[in-house]
Amino acid sequence: MQTKKSAKWAIIMIMVMLVSLVAGCSNKPTSTNTPDVIKLGFLGAKTGSVANYGLPAEKGMKMAIEELNAKGGILGKNLVGIYEDNKGESADIANIATKYITVDKVVAMVGDPCTGLTKVAAEIAQKNQVVIFSGGATGTGVVEIGDYVFRNTLLDSMAVPSVVDWMINTKGWKKIAIITSLNNGYSTALTPVFKDAIQKKGGTIALEDSINDKDTDFTAQVTKLKNAQADVLVFTGYYQEAALIMNEAKKQNLNISMIGGDGLYGQDLAKLGGTAVEEKVIFYCGFSTDKPTPETAKFIDAYKAKFGENPDMFSAQYYDAVMILAKAMTDAKSADPKLFRAELAKLKDYPGVSGSTTFGANREPIKSPVCLLTVKNGAFSLVDKISVK
Amino acid sequence: MDAFITQQIDAYYLRIIIIIGINIILALGLNLTTGVTGQLSMGHAGFMSLGAYTAAILSLHTTLPFVVVLIAGAMAAALFGIIIGIPSLRLEGDYLAIVTIGFAEIVRVFFLNFELGGKAVGLAGIPQQTTFSIVFLIMMVVIFLNITLLNSHTGKALYSIRENEIAAQACGVNTTQLKILCFAMGAFLGGLGGGLYASYMYYISPGEFGFMKSIEILNMVVLGGMGSIPGTILGVIILTIAPEFLRVVADYRLLFYGAMLVILMIFRPNGLMGDIRWYDIKKRLPKKEVKKCQS
Repeated sequence: MQTKKSAKWAIIMIMVMLVSLVAGCSNKPTSTNTPDVIKLGFLGAKTGSVANYGLPAEKGMKMAIEELNAKGGILGKNLVGIYEDNKGESADIANIATKYITVDKVVAMVGDPCTGLTKVAAEIAQKNQVVIFSGGATGTGVVEIGDYVFRNTLLDSMAVPSVVDWMINTKGWKKIAIITSLNNGYSTALTPVFKDAIQKKGGTIALEDSINDKDTDFTAQVTKLKNAQADVLVFTGYYQEAALIMNEAKKQNLNISMIGGDGLYGQDLAKLGGTAVEEKVIFYCGFSTDKPTPETAKFIDAYKAKFGENPDMFSAQYYDAVMILAKAMTDAKSADPKLFRAELAKLKDYPGVSGSTTFGANREPIKSPVCLLTVKNGAFSLVDKISVK
Repeated sequence: MDAFITQQIDAYYLRIIIIIGINIILALGLNLTTGVTGQLSMGHAGFMSLGAYTAAILSLHTTLPFVVVLIAGAMAAALFGIIIGIPSLRLEGDYLAIVTIGFAEIVRVFFLNFELGGKAVGLAGIPQQTTFSIVFLIMMVVIFLNITLLNSHTGKALYSIRENEIAAQACGVNTTQLKILCFAMGAFLGGLGGGLYASYMYYISPGEFGFMKSIEILNMVVLGGMGSIPGTILGVIILTIAPEFLRVVADYRLLFYGAMLVILMIFRPNGLMGDIRWYDIKKRLPKKEVKKCQS
């Protein structure tokens, strides 16, 4: 008798929960669905393994929308951002992108930081003729999806040749070792770009090795690296493994610099690596808080005042993406994606907080300059700014 | 038919409905292995990824019709289902679960290093051929075949293996053959669902078919009720819709999701419909009265 009663209660409780959720869900869209606002959808992860890219990105986007609204919005309408968490999973981003387009009726989506996820959302955006503007997808095959797909980020294929040129001609590092993280999509895509550039610029590849993300013991790789007598190590993975590799190199008394992409741009690099990464790990990215331009300095101060921390590349690129969308809508005098995307494609030398942006003929962004960063006294500091040819 | 439906139903809801359909196919596969026959399999995502990758690669590199591609994916998964079914003859319970987890990991790592599958980057640009009508049709066929199977002699034999394997053997049930069969059928449906998923999502990567995906599908089966077809369908619907509705509570949605699972399992340990089955509904009532007399 007792179990029967509690079972009944459980069913009632669950019913109430579900009904209240359904009710809450159906009420929400109608309350915000006023025609005199322009809606933008945020794509990015707020939980999960890639949340460290999505969280600052969200802050950058929120700040841009607040600033625009403080100035009176676009075309006399206020901007509204909608922020859903896609957990870094492709099934979720597909659901969210569809929801943004059909339920919330956004005119544009900003995101995602990851290339693979951006492709999923871009396919949906293209089909429904809504603009998608990624602030972080660096890999290949994104804008090829269609003419509603844009991105504002430093492309690996543009940055890497300049970086390799800097390595070989400025630093004189000709014998290069490469380590790839096999279970990391970003890393497996970046390695061929580096190899291609090294061959073209006349360097030699002394060693090719691989690790896996979440590995902790790199003794074997570092020993091999020591025997290969390379001038420099290129590591294409993320910052956790980079810090651990450098720790191991220090333990084995190997004095070598590490070059990498913006995957190394994580605040924990200095914490995990300690003195082993100081002025040893150098990576390229499109944004630096050092030696800022006036626009960037203004952005950094405002961001610090609002969130109490330094902005990173993703917050800057999302901020710029919203600002560029706003500019395109103002120029086109319309918030209709079919009309303002033409203005967007014409963008030239836009002075954003993450450097200047021009869209080429194929809608690929050309951003300059490339910042080379390293760790100094536990904080990121600028090594060099090189321009992209 | 699809054109009509896209006009009538909002794309967001249609998307959830299609995902529910695909999940029902996946979960009914696992229900055959784990729910009906009682062979705990925690590697269903492995079968799913085999089907997904086979279908994706075939549709990217050949011009075969979609149905052929789907069946090829399902057959590839079924083949591995048989291979995994063989050790299940010697193992049961936790030990079998470990073997299946290991299998799913092997498949995942294989695709991480598989050149044709795009390695860790994944495969993008898979032609989107999965439509509502295809998913609906396949789902109905799968449900119908499942009901027919479970009501047949073979289906009852499968249940008997779960209840008591030795007794089943003593009654003349060929447990060896049936256990391999249930693994093959479960894997076939897993591969079929994977193929539909790949073609619907446009992009797949090895990371999606990790351990958590297996657990997610297992959750659906356990929540709905092991071995019950209506239960499994209900479990799929609840667990697919809940995360979407829970978007209202934004940051706390995973907390609510977990709490819902805990509450359900405390009050309905056999799953929502696990102990409600048509074939024994009549026998259950007198049994309970007998128990009362004894106490």
